Amino acid sequence: MSGPMNRLAPAVVLMIDRLVWSLPVLWLVATMTFVLMHLAPGGPFDKDKTLPPEITANIEAKYHLDEPVARQYARYLGQLVRGDLGPSYKYADRDVGEIIAEAFPVSIQLGAAAFALTVLLGVGGGMLAAWRPGSWIDRGALLSATLGFSLPSFVVGVLLILVLAHQAHWFPPALWEGPRYIVLPALTLALGPAAYVARLTRASLIDVAAQEYVRVGRAKGLPPGVIWLSYLLKAGLPPVVTILGPMLAVLVTGSFVVEYLFSIPGMGRFFITAVTNRDYPLIMGVTLVYAVVIVAANLIVDLLYGWLDPRMRVGSERGR
Amino acid sequence: MLPRMHETVRRAGWRGVLGLLVFCVSGAVAAAPPPAVLRLSIASEPPTLDWSLATDNVSITVIENLMEGLTAFDDQLRPMPAVASRWDVSPDGLTYTFHLRDDVRWTDGRPVTARDFEYGWKRLLNPATGAEYAYFLYDLVNAYEYNSGRLTDASQVGVTAVDDTTLRVQLKKPIVYFPSITAFVVTFPQRRDLIERYGRRWTDPGRLVTNGPFTLADWRHEYKVVLRANPAYAWGRPSIDEVRMYVINDRSTALTLYETGDLDLVPLPPEAIPFYERSPEFVRVPILRGYYYGFNVTTPPFDDPRVRQAFALAIDKSEFPALLKGGELPTNSWIPAGMFAYNPAVGLAYDPAAARARLAEAGYPAGRGFPAVTAAYNTDPVNTVIAENLQAQWKRTLGVAIAIDNQEWKVYLKRLQTQPPPLYRLGWGADYPDPDNFMALFTSQSGNNHSRWSNAGYDALIARAASTGDPAQRQRLYDDAQRILTEQDVPIIPLFVASQNYLIKPSLHGLRLNAMELLTLKEVSIR
Repeated sequence: MSGPMNRLAPAVVLMIDRLVWSLPVLWLVATMTFVLMHLAPGGPFDKDKTLPPEITANIEAKYHLDEPVARQYARYLGQLVRGDLGPSYKYADRDVGEIIAEAFPVSIQLGAAAFALTVLLGVGGGMLAAWRPGSWIDRGALLSATLGFSLPSFVVGVLLILVLAHQAHWFPPALWEGPRYIVLPALTLALGPAAYVARLTRASLIDVAAQEYVRVGRAKGLPPGVIWLSYLLKAGLPPVVTILGPMLAVLVTGSFVVEYLFSIPGMGRFFITAVTNRDYPLIMGVTLVYAVVIVAANLIVDLLYGWLDPRMRVGSERGR
Repeated sequence: MLPRMHETVRRAGWRGVLGLLVFCVSGAVAAAPPPAVLRLSIASEPPTLDWSLATDNVSITVIENLMEGLTAFDDQLRPMPAVASRWDVSPDGLTYTFHLRDDVRWTDGRPVTARDFEYGWKRLLNPATGAEYAYFLYDLVNAYEYNSGRLTDASQVGVTAVDDTTLRVQLKKPIVYFPSITAFVVTFPQRRDLIERYGRRWTDPGRLVTNGPFTLADWRHEYKVVLRANPAYAWGRPSIDEVRMYVINDRSTALTLYETGDLDLVPLPPEAIPFYERSPEFVRVPILRGYYYGFNVTTPPFDDPRVRQAFALAIDKSEFPALLKGGELPTNSWIPAGMFAYNPAVGLAYDPAAARARLAEAGYPAGRGFPAVTAAYNTDPVNTVIAENLQAQWKRTLGVAIAIDNQEWKVYLKRLQTQPPPLYRLGWGADYPDPDNFMALFTSQSGNNHSRWSNAGYDALIARAASTGDPAQRQRLYDDAQRILTEQDVPIIPLFVASQNYLIKPSLHGLRLNAMELLTLKEVSIR
């Protein structure tokens, strides 16, 4: 086969393979969520003001909650196959599909900004630290990474709001009106992951730098730029890329704490509120979206992997 | 500095210059004052703006500013004429006839008629609507039968539009507080044509037609609701042009936005109250929301009223305000201050000697031999503070060791319904400002009476009071009922009545904060 085809074919095989496998995974996620949800005590219409039984019966009939659970499950899967996530129980006038369609793009924007910051601060910081291991730069980077990693986002967020919004007035303290409003929440969201990525990048690069072929390369007088690009990064980044995939999935599906703190209308809040409200269709909806995003992110990672490290290509593995 | 400015001008280029020109010209021509915008926070996304389905405070607050019903509360929470200019009650108290104003219009220009009320009420009661608050109209003839599916013919329900301006309501029993019910959102009129055209999406901005001081301009879910002044409002256009209600779940975030000048009005989180209490912008309003502990009276040791009395007498409620700091008002009686029939003289006040004596009478001198019991509450910081305080007080005064246990809200509610704990925490907020709403809670048939206490004498008093028009006589009936509830049988111990704490910008005038936790914005102006 010719060169480009040779590189492309395994990627296509991998994608088809993953898409086929994702179906049982999603079915399993949907089923487990359904079972867990119905096992949790308390229902969507249990409130502090108890309703007369006749009214509860009307509501249950309206949402088919009066049917046997097996039938509800069948109905749910049937809807799902048609792409219908059903009506929300809590938000009486809205469908789960609409709720997610409105909230998910907001989380994606915020998550993408946070992801960019994660890569920038994490990989950049890690490289800086690995450049001169043991130097003050390395120690400083390590210290900030440890801090960033151990401070919970609600502390970081409050501190950022206090200093950069409340005192300095550089950024708005909350709300979602334009680009300026992304900075503080994205930073809050990114600091933890960035710290983790920085430590991983540093460790991986130092590890690679100690390898014999890199030492030989240096000894032969290759310029530092070549050493970094062709040797260190190419061999040192794959472990980092592996964790960036799931990290991207977590970031774009939203964070309860950050959305709550900055009043951002994203999807992260539903992972908590849908459960406390026992809004069954919404719980299922956000869980499934999360599962799809995780599957997709892992696929991207695998594709990137093959590109970065020829040994990992699925095709070559199969060829043996 | 200068080169940088040059650069900016060069980059902005012609578009900038043109923009500046347009801005200057339009400013010179229009010179209109900037719109008066009120910015406030709401604690959650309104789950719905369909007033047949709304049950929560946020939805109701928004709807109250969009709509007018037959009646509306004044500052003292008395029902006053609104869309109904007056009403007659038949001598037997069973028929209310509401006479409607003919000059109230929907925002699309159509007049508001009695038929819109009849349709709205029957839609509320239609089982297919699945309305939680359908029971508000259960006192109407055949309303319960229709809502529970025993009767399918809606025309037999006791509400009829006699003509465009006359609405006749037939009740099963005389209810003196009925004009308070007609001030509640679930009884507001509805447009059959629009609901049939748009289905459950009839409340979307651009579709929602209303008759109140504001119109729905925008609703960005989970983010903000924007209302705009209704120029055709029958009682005169509001002074403010726009209200922006931001969904801000975290009260500290709302407070920060208030401090940075991005909000004009915020509820104050309890932990922040000590820092703002002396500010001229601080406002505190007691609300009709009672907090109590209930006993499961069917199981020992709390099946003995003397034990329950002892537990009530042992609580020094004056400790609560310092613990909670939110302006909580300790109370021994159940009907809250600010409501008709409030009587602070009723109920068991703190009396440690009497508490110990009562417990000894019941067979537990100094708490000896008292079985292990657990007090349960739903997970919440305020509830924990109260539970721990009560635990310490009962230990100190009665010598009994009570375990405490908390559960997530829905799990807790399920437990209250199926297997009430020996001691449990709950609260109640008024749906309508009449003592019936608080007292009917503990009647034998009430689904909210988790104590499983039943007293035929109490039930009879509550039923009689609901039909008694004479205020003095009605007060006596409620006093007697409250004595049974809080002194004699003691299935519950009322602990305190809550308050609302706000910060309000001094530029805001005419804001009415009432004990029903509703924000009435039509009289607000910004100066």
